[in-house]
Amino acid sequence: MSTAHSNAAKEFLKNQTYAKWHDATFWAVRTKRDNMAYGLEEWEQLREKASAIKRHTITHLDEYLDQFATKAEENGCIVHWAKDAHEFNEIVYGILKNHNVKKLVKSKSMLTEECGMNPYLEQHGIEVVETDLGERIIQLKGQAPSHIVMPAIHLNHDDVGELFEEKLGSEKGNHDPTYLTYVARLSLRNEFLTADAGMTGANFGIAETGDIVVCTNEGNADMSTSCPKLHIAAIGLEKVIPNYDCLAVFQRMLCRAGTGQPTTTFTSHFRKARPTANPMHIVLVDNGRSEWVGNPEHWEALKCIRCGSCMNTCPVYRRSGGYSYSYFIPGPIGINLGMLRDPEKHSGNVSACTLCNSCQALCPAKINLGDQIYMWRQQLDEFGTANPQKKMMCKGMSMFYGSEGMYNLGTALAHWANIIPSPIINCGLNPWAEGHKMMEFPKKPFHKLWKEIKK
Amino acid sequence: MSNKDDILKKYRANVRERFFDERSGKTGFDMPDLSDIKAITYPNPLVQFVKMTEMVGGQVIEVDPGRDVNVLIKELFPDAKEIASNLPEITIATRNPDTAGRARDLNGTDVGIIRGKFGVAENACIWIPQTMKEKAVCFISENLIILLPKSQIVNNMHEAYKRIEFDKEYDGYGVFISGPSKTADIAQVLVMGAQAARSATILLMPE
Repeated sequence: MSTAHSNAAKEFLKNQTYAKWHDATFWAVRTKRDNMAYGLEEWEQLREKASAIKRHTITHLDEYLDQFATKAEENGCIVHWAKDAHEFNEIVYGILKNHNVKKLVKSKSMLTEECGMNPYLEQHGIEVVETDLGERIIQLKGQAPSHIVMPAIHLNHDDVGELFEEKLGSEKGNHDPTYLTYVARLSLRNEFLTADAGMTGANFGIAETGDIVVCTNEGNADMSTSCPKLHIAAIGLEKVIPNYDCLAVFQRMLCRAGTGQPTTTFTSHFRKARPTANPMHIVLVDNGRSEWVGNPEHWEALKCIRCGSCMNTCPVYRRSGGYSYSYFIPGPIGINLGMLRDPEKHSGNVSACTLCNSCQALCPAKINLGDQIYMWRQQLDEFGTANPQKKMMCKGMSMFYGSEGMYNLGTALAHWANIIPSPIINCGLNPWAEGHKMMEFPKKPFHKLWKEIKK
Repeated sequence: MSNKDDILKKYRANVRERFFDERSGKTGFDMPDLSDIKAITYPNPLVQFVKMTEMVGGQVIEVDPGRDVNVLIKELFPDAKEIASNLPEITIATRNPDTAGRARDLNGTDVGIIRGKFGVAENACIWIPQTMKEKAVCFISENLIILLPKSQIVNNMHEAYKRIEFDKEYDGYGVFISGPSKTADIAQVLVMGAQAARSATILLMPE
């Protein structure tokens, strides 16, 4: 009865030392987030405002997108619109080809991950260099991110040390994080200086001014756009917000919620190209968003600002890791976005949830993440992805619980199951004994005890 | 029809179908009032700004009136060979981001000196509009020095976003910087100096 997620998680749990570290690390990040949130009396008010701004913006996004694009064009930017991932990749490649770009440096963008841009560009002969340290590490390793904010969290310093020995020629056996960061700095510095173009994602687009706002700790978005002659910014439709007053709310929450810092080191506003560079290009990407907004139960997933706090707090994510999910974004928001993208492919993730709702208690934009996962589960039968064994069990249970006679008889006899020898009961065919000991049935069922107490 | 029209038309139609309310004739949600946010303020924003700057890994030095910053910077970075700045009061600069041939020529700068407009007490952000031809100087330098007028500290980002302005000449870019570049991408160990400046020193300037 295991799902795709729980099967994948078995792999993650093989290394118990690492699994414990992973769990503790994210709980520490969650604790840092709490300290930040409790440090502001207005935190809950900010969450209310953030949610209300997003609800308003998403239901008026056509107007704000038009305003944003018009303003950006007035500023001197060239604005493109991509309906889907393929169009996005074609547009980006077209721009790069026109400028004769051989090497592209880029800062972290989950949108380019969503669209599979790197492999597309590489197939067309363009070298793509990730410049966020975590992204660079997994790029050198040939892997995908396992967390949206901490993409290389599944690797320890020895993994990175060995990788750098092989790929960047670092000292053998020196796996000190400070040293390794410095090695990456030198190597990336050379890439920044020799790249023909730089690409950034966007944390926010500001309709009133046309600004692309990018938040980083490393300064890699700024380095990516300071030397190359061309800047392309990729932005999902839902990242556009009305104005600076709204931005202030989100800027204050993004990093506090995500990593437990008071701010990212850099909050960069790109309005147009540097004086010595070619005009800046902005690519607005739909890729499903205009469809999702009409989904009555799940449209609020579009409120997400990609802070990562829902995965940091999720007891299932912390104990199963990013690679246990089939969608490239893991954790509660990833479960929901994956289902919006392709329910048949990603239904295996909806069981990766205890419905504890810690995610939605934390989400800075107040997305009802846990409720949405619950609702997806109700729909599995429609998608043809419901587990047949569970379906049968549900039918059996509704029969059992629906008949008083059967219920009384069953609960009275259940304790006889306790005497079945444990090798049989724990043989692996019994799903109730998977990963833990089989429960013991009480001699007297609860409803009988209750009647006696009430006497 | 263009892609833009197609996308916006589809988006609009789906919003209308889902959110149009016949009774009110309205579609979707109203913009909330943001003026009632009870944002944090500090009895002494400057003290808080200094505390936060140190917390994020920066260094703050208060410059006494009459003190020559050039002498101070030489004391702070005695080994610095290449110093980049376009500020008129910096006389020790060996490079100028306004006259650098290419941005990459600023690589190898030991100390870059720039000016901040105002600081934010809650998170140590400093607003730095681009005021030089090559903004690379703000990131490519090994060590960054930001001259900041001591009196220009606001409480929080709401106040900050009410007053940010871009430069008239270089009106395409501005950035909030809070401390040195940093990363924890290797095993969650915090390291200063990822891709941009490895240290950030804030010189609080008298009026």
